[in-house]
Amino acid sequence: MTAVLEVHDLSVAFGGIRAVDGVSFAAERNAITTIIGPNGAGKSTLFNLVSGLIPPDGGRVVLDGVDRTGEPPHLMQRAGLGRSFQITNLFFELTVFENLRLAAQRLENPMRFLLPVGRSDCALTRVDELIARFSLAEKTSELAGALSHGEQRRLEIAVALAAQPSVLLLDEPTQGMSHADTADTSKLIRGLAKDVTILLIEHDIGVVMDISDRIVVMHQGKKLAEGAPSTVRNDPAVKAAYFGHA
Amino acid sequence: MRDNVTAAPVVDRLALAMRASHVLVAIFVVAGLVFATVGVAMKDTFFLRLATEALIFAGLALSVDILLGYSGLLSLGQALYFGLGAYVAAVVLKEIPSFWVAMGAALVASLVVSILAGLIANRVRGVYFALVTFGLAQVAAKAVYNTRALGASDGMIGVPIVPIDLGVATVMSNSPAGFFLFTLAFIVVLYAISAYLLDTPFGRVLLAIRANERRVPSLGYSTRNARLAAYVLAAVVAALSGALYPMLRGFVSPELLFFTTSGNAVITVVTGGVGTLAGALYGSVILTVLKSVIGSMTEHHLIVIGLLFMVTVIFLPKGLMGFIRPSIERLIGGGSR
Repeated sequence: MTAVLEVHDLSVAFGGIRAVDGVSFAAERNAITTIIGPNGAGKSTLFNLVSGLIPPDGGRVVLDGVDRTGEPPHLMQRAGLGRSFQITNLFFELTVFENLRLAAQRLENPMRFLLPVGRSDCALTRVDELIARFSLAEKTSELAGALSHGEQRRLEIAVALAAQPSVLLLDEPTQGMSHADTADTSKLIRGLAKDVTILLIEHDIGVVMDISDRIVVMHQGKKLAEGAPSTVRNDPAVKAAYFGHA
Repeated sequence: MRDNVTAAPVVDRLALAMRASHVLVAIFVVAGLVFATVGVAMKDTFFLRLATEALIFAGLALSVDILLGYSGLLSLGQALYFGLGAYVAAVVLKEIPSFWVAMGAALVASLVVSILAGLIANRVRGVYFALVTFGLAQVAAKAVYNTRALGASDGMIGVPIVPIDLGVATVMSNSPAGFFLFTLAFIVVLYAISAYLLDTPFGRVLLAIRANERRVPSLGYSTRNARLAAYVLAAVVAALSGALYPMLRGFVSPELLFFTTSGNAVITVVTGGVGTLAGALYGSVILTVLKSVIGSMTEHHLIVIGLLFMVTVIFLPKGLMGFIRPSIERLIGGGSR
């Protein structure tokens, strides 16, 4: 197994509060690495550091063997990092099709960036694949803002995946979903791991134990534990911090 | 309908809307040609020249719509580039009476100024962007107003009549019908270039910025570069339109740089229809005609313009073309939706 994404001693502080404090881990190729921890543990901040939305105070982010620490989000994306957001972050006034094409047109030859959109063949092929894979065929012409919450969450993943990233960061993809939708989505994510390395933040502990290859537990900005689901589940420190009792 | 969803071609809503705008502009051109024919038949000068002025200001409105309608950037200082084009053309024409040299100079000047000003203005968003663009234009206006070499508050008069050599024919800038038709063609070319660029992946990134700017970097696009590109494109469109002004009127004045000019362009776009491009053309004609007709009856014509603006915003929030265009879309879209 090789690490696609390595995080070394990553830290950031906001006004004296060390939101992420010396966190290190590695995400193995085509595996699902899940970050868990109570609210305020620094999970989303960690994602923002890795994806370039917030520059870290210290530490390194290595993607595919290249040090990318402190690079802005659009360059991180170009280096192969796709991400979704905890709070649905789509182009609500554009259709499902437009949302996907916008994300997929990054695959197009830059020389075609100033040719009419109808000639973006690569992007259009990719959009068709995504529509099929994420079962959005009946919704293509609908505005993203008019979709149900579950559909929006699915589109959010599809948009993050559109430009064929090597690492996909999913921030609580099943947040607010019904039980049935959650089951479908976790199956979908498990399927995606065949082609892409996944770094996941998830609260639904059932989903976490079910689909993760490796779990990183965070607490108050620090990494508390790391290991296979069965190891983490039985770790006394994790039980104390995360489940509230030892 | 539902059973062939997988095979159904996706209707590109945005491309369809753009085609509808093309139809509206084609109607505009036909109306312009009819108007020119009638004008020539009636040996008119006044209305042909007034209409030419409307077209020139339509170019300024077009530049406002590129920013407001496609990138979500409200510029309150597009007169900076319109006036820049006008002054550069006037200065050049007084030395070298060549149309193409004047246009080339306006193009280069607007590129240089807009890249520099764009780097400043694009550091901020929303209201702050509006204020910075406003401020930049005011600084330029006051500088021109106090520069004797540029005629100061009087402006510059005596811009010579120029021949416009188009290869196949030569149009004189003082020929009412000839210069009207040339300006019509010129503005349609500016429209076509803008419409083309906005219907590319680049244009879609601009729309994405308007819809949800914070999401765009995570898709791999630099919002700073895209916004700057839109700003420069809009500046060039405004400057090239402005460069025609001294050819039509024979003079330039600092008013071309004032807020009234910028503000009128925004009113034009909102009345005509934000994000339609065609609305800039129709809006400019409507506003110019109203100003002239009402202005000939009362000197308080701004009250009427102001009321009209408010009525439009309340009852036609998408502007005239925003109201009409969906019907055209249904007509040419082959019954989709």
